[in-house]
Amino acid sequence: MKRTFAILFLGLLAGLGAHIGWFSASAPENPTELGAQLAWMRSSLRLSDEQLLRIRALHEQSAPRLLALAAQVNGMQGELAAFERARQTEGQIDFLEFARFVEERRRLDRECLASTQRLVSAASEVMTPQQRQQYLTLLEPALKMLRGNPSG
Amino acid sequence: MPDPTDSDPLDPLLDRLGRQTPLPPAPLGPEVWRRISLAEESARGGFWERFHAVFARPSFAVTFVAACVFLGLFLAEVRRSRRQDDYNRELMQSYLRLIDPLLQAADRPSLAQTGTKS
Repeated sequence: MKRTFAILFLGLLAGLGAHIGWFSASAPENPTELGAQLAWMRSSLRLSDEQLLRIRALHEQSAPRLLALAAQVNGMQGELAAFERARQTEGQIDFLEFARFVEERRRLDRECLASTQRLVSAASEVMTPQQRQQYLTLLEPALKMLRGNPSG
Repeated sequence: MPDPTDSDPLDPLLDRLGRQTPLPPAPLGPEVWRRISLAEESARGGFWERFHAVFARPSFAVTFVAACVFLGLFLAEVRRSRRQDDYNRELMQSYLRLIDPLLQAADRPSLAQTGTKS
């Protein structure tokens, strides 16, 4: 009796140990880090070491510019919220100011789109035609969204 | 060649069997039911005995533990595969946010709100 339960317990313990060990053996990296994203690109697109280095350099070069643009977009979202608050509290807004804002926002959206396209294009040039096609297929949903709704 | 006049010693016994079939010592029905219930009881008690007997065999015990390990590994692999799919999706979204300032900004609406308030 005791032997049977001991074997059952041992089996359960061994199975659980194997499960936890195997599952936690390969905990993924933080997905927001560039290294993890490039590693994913490398495995998805089968990039060579040289291609990976060049693509990493391109992304690192463009990162400050893209971050600055994102900060500007954030600032403009704040301005838009301020216009909306003014409309709700005062019942009116300065239309000249708003028109300037809309124009500025359009310019910024175009700049964002151009920056993204420049980076995608530069990264594509490093790739072989097959890799490029696969890369663009992966990015297609986002690119479509940007082209379809450039104002975000 | 055997002599046909010689009688087989079994013949008288076979003749007597036909004439004098012994009667059962007690009524047959209750005895049959008693034996059936005894057999059922022994079968019920025998499951656990058989179960313990099977686990008492070292070869079965080793196979059982190995099967548990393989089941654990299989389920872990299924979970890892699902986690990898989710992770790849997250990587894709993170990458799109990295290369697209509009998505980056859309991902941080709270900053916009804070900036407006200050």
